[in-house]
Amino acid sequence: MYIYLPIAEISMHIGIIIGLGGGVGFLSGLFGVGGGFLMTPLLIFFGIPPAVAVATEANQIVASSVSGVLAHMRRDNVDFKMGGILLLGGVIGSSLGVVLFTTLREMGQIDLVIKLSYVVFLGIIGFLMLLESVRTILHTRRPGGRKTKLHQHNWLHGLPLKMRFRRSKLYISALLPLAIGAFVGVLAAIMGVGGGFIMVPAMIYLLGMPTSVVVGTSLFQIIFVTANVTFLQSVQTQTVDFMLAGLLLFGAVIGAQFGTRASALLRGEQLRGLLALMVLAVCIKLGFDLALRPDDLFSVELLK
Amino acid sequence: MIRARQFILSFILLLGMTSLAAANSGRLVADLSKSNIAITSGFHGTDLLLFGAVDGAVGDDILVVISGPPTDIAQRRKANRAGIWINVETNIWQKAPSLYTILATSPINKIASPETLASLAIGTNNIGLEIAAKTPVAGQSKPTAIEFIAALQANMASIDLWPDQNGNVTLTENALFRAEVKLPPNILSGTYNVRVLQFRNGVAISEDITNLYIKKGGLSAGIYNFAHNYSALYGIFAILFAVAAGWLAAVAFRRK
Repeated sequence: MYIYLPIAEISMHIGIIIGLGGGVGFLSGLFGVGGGFLMTPLLIFFGIPPAVAVATEANQIVASSVSGVLAHMRRDNVDFKMGGILLLGGVIGSSLGVVLFTTLREMGQIDLVIKLSYVVFLGIIGFLMLLESVRTILHTRRPGGRKTKLHQHNWLHGLPLKMRFRRSKLYISALLPLAIGAFVGVLAAIMGVGGGFIMVPAMIYLLGMPTSVVVGTSLFQIIFVTANVTFLQSVQTQTVDFMLAGLLLFGAVIGAQFGTRASALLRGEQLRGLLALMVLAVCIKLGFDLALRPDDLFSVELLK
Repeated sequence: MIRARQFILSFILLLGMTSLAAANSGRLVADLSKSNIAITSGFHGTDLLLFGAVDGAVGDDILVVISGPPTDIAQRRKANRAGIWINVETNIWQKAPSLYTILATSPINKIASPETLASLAIGTNNIGLEIAAKTPVAGQSKPTAIEFIAALQANMASIDLWPDQNGNVTLTENALFRAEVKLPPNILSGTYNVRVLQFRNGVAISEDITNLYIKKGGLSAGIYNFAHNYSALYGIFAILFAVAAGWLAAVAFRRK
């Protein structure tokens, strides 16, 4: 059965949409990630205009982050103060990102920037994750680990506007999470992702937050960043396809449940290694798209 | 005197009638099986029947041109820059038909000469397509206008909006004609112009024009209008829906 998507203005098989939602939902449940970095390129691959894919995916991530954060709140794994600073930066960053997105779209360069951002950021993150998980797997085989400090002190800790974050056991400058939030916000708006895959490592390695509160806090701020993107894209470009988001969501909710169950079958470092491979696969695929000569050098877009 | 006046009058009348007959010789009437089509949630393209009657002779041809609501089309050209393929040039084709399809009883080049088709503005080469804005990039061997229009035609054909010659018209007993028209799922809403021409020995001898109206309908139209007319409200609604759905999912699948 085909369904006509009113904003994307294309007709798509309903099974493909729900299947996409389910498949990506399964992987996000399995790996504990949002899945935006998989869904947005897939939607574009299936012919959804990039602008609609990015804006609609932001809308869908609002839902998946809400259901994720509720679970973390029950376990008291959310640092609301830190999340608040991050989301303040995130709202500023994502607003800039939406403006940037609109400009690039008018210039006809949005596809390029989306793909380049994916290649660069997925490449870096995927490579680091793979390295880390391989190291952990080797370590567990050969007993005896390295000593780790709670967190290291460097010049970043000399910045003004210091604040105490009790839940994260940190006393750092508020400028740091503000800047990280803003940076990830820009990327979230352009790439159609929540940005957890950058936010989580940044929280651990740059802010030095304890890993227990990292995911919950990241999800908490993603809700607001993606809601901001959804709102701004709705107002500026009318590219949020509510029908598409709803169907993806339906598939994703179910898929995520199976994914979460399946994740119990694998060990943490194995999961992270697999996730790293998947991230790198998306990165390499998009890299090839950019590097290989396209079959047709010309393309058209109807500017209704 | 009176006789003479009557003679002149009837002469003028006759002249008028013959010129009318010449313009209308053959005479052609065409209609569509449906002239209003709604793009609803289940829309996946549509088929319709074009039919009509013609005062024809052996060897006559019928040619149908369907032209969609005009739109601007951005055409982009990629080139390699520093190892990656990026868009280096954008042409905006102004007021180009969003759909252009020809159906005929024979291959179009057998029906009339290219000059005749050009004078009747039949075919995407002959509809006066113009590039509005052009941003050429220096240091690049630029394709010619012919290459651009050929590329535009190829791109539009690949998304089914300007198919080469989309199907046939059957003419029965030189009097009745019919054609199955297939419209793709990605058509725009608006007024479509359906032009039916009768050709005899390479000359168009009669013509009829009818319209086809395509509109968004049902839930699909509701969502589209909501998004465009009440954008801010739509955004808030989309967010609230997502929050509710996320919360519901969390409650429904809460681990015991």
